[in-house]
Amino acid sequence: IETATTIFDFEEFPNRDKVTYMYYTGRLEVFNENFPSADYKLSYALKHCNQQHEANIRMILKYLIPVKLSIGILPNHRLLEKYNLLEYGNIVQALKRGDPRLLRSALQYHEDWFLRSGVYLVLEKVELQVYQRLVKKIYIIQKQRDPSRAHQVKLEVIVKALKWLEIDMDVDEVECIMAILIYKNLVKGYFAHKSKVAVLSKQDPFPKLNGKPVNS
Amino acid sequence: DDMEEGKEVTQQWEDDWDDDDVSDDFSVQLRRELEKTTDKN
Repeated sequence: IETATTIFDFEEFPNRDKVTYMYYTGRLEVFNENFPSADYKLSYALKHCNQQHEANIRMILKYLIPVKLSIGILPNHRLLEKYNLLEYGNIVQALKRGDPRLLRSALQYHEDWFLRSGVYLVLEKVELQVYQRLVKKIYIIQKQRDPSRAHQVKLEVIVKALKWLEIDMDVDEVECIMAILIYKNLVKGYFAHKSKVAVLSKQDPFPKLNGKPVNS
Repeated sequence: DDMEEGKEVTQQWEDDWDDDDVSDDFSVQLRRELEKTTDKN
């Protein structure tokens, strides 16, 4: 399909064909995990489709929402309500809170629907952003208590936060998650391995995605 | 009119949600939990 656009001028096609093309190729990009391109194509389809056809808008949003989540952009609750896509509601909430337990239960509760839509794997990846948010909240809470030592986050503290959320992880597992967050540039810092402390960068310790996908 | 509505749909996204606000219920409970643990040490 891609080569066709080099032979014909895309702009010359009727609008509804362009929207259809962008919708289907956008969905392909979702499955190929090429999120910036999926975002571009599905956003194009959303913007140019007939705004009276709510069923079509819903179909586009069904794929665009997980794509937006994966690049750190959240849909308004109104949008989920209007187009009957409340399946995504608790996933959005989990991101806002930094609540991995809520994310897990939301994924489980709507598992069939997410699997059938083919977005389950995309949503699963949001977990790293949820952990980033949780560590950030721990950091902010520490900072309000003792600004001078806030950038030192004891892994034990994260373990306790997770235990509160009924997620059973030991220090080694938490260290592994922190290592992934650092590797993916969701957290800036390093480990003091022996003392089991993550030392966060004093500058921008939690880089925002700002519409870019998580490093792979 | 169509354009206006199209605009509306495309503007329903938040990219500034990752703020420093820790006054929501979840954060308040998290704080309570963390303070419990640090007091013990």
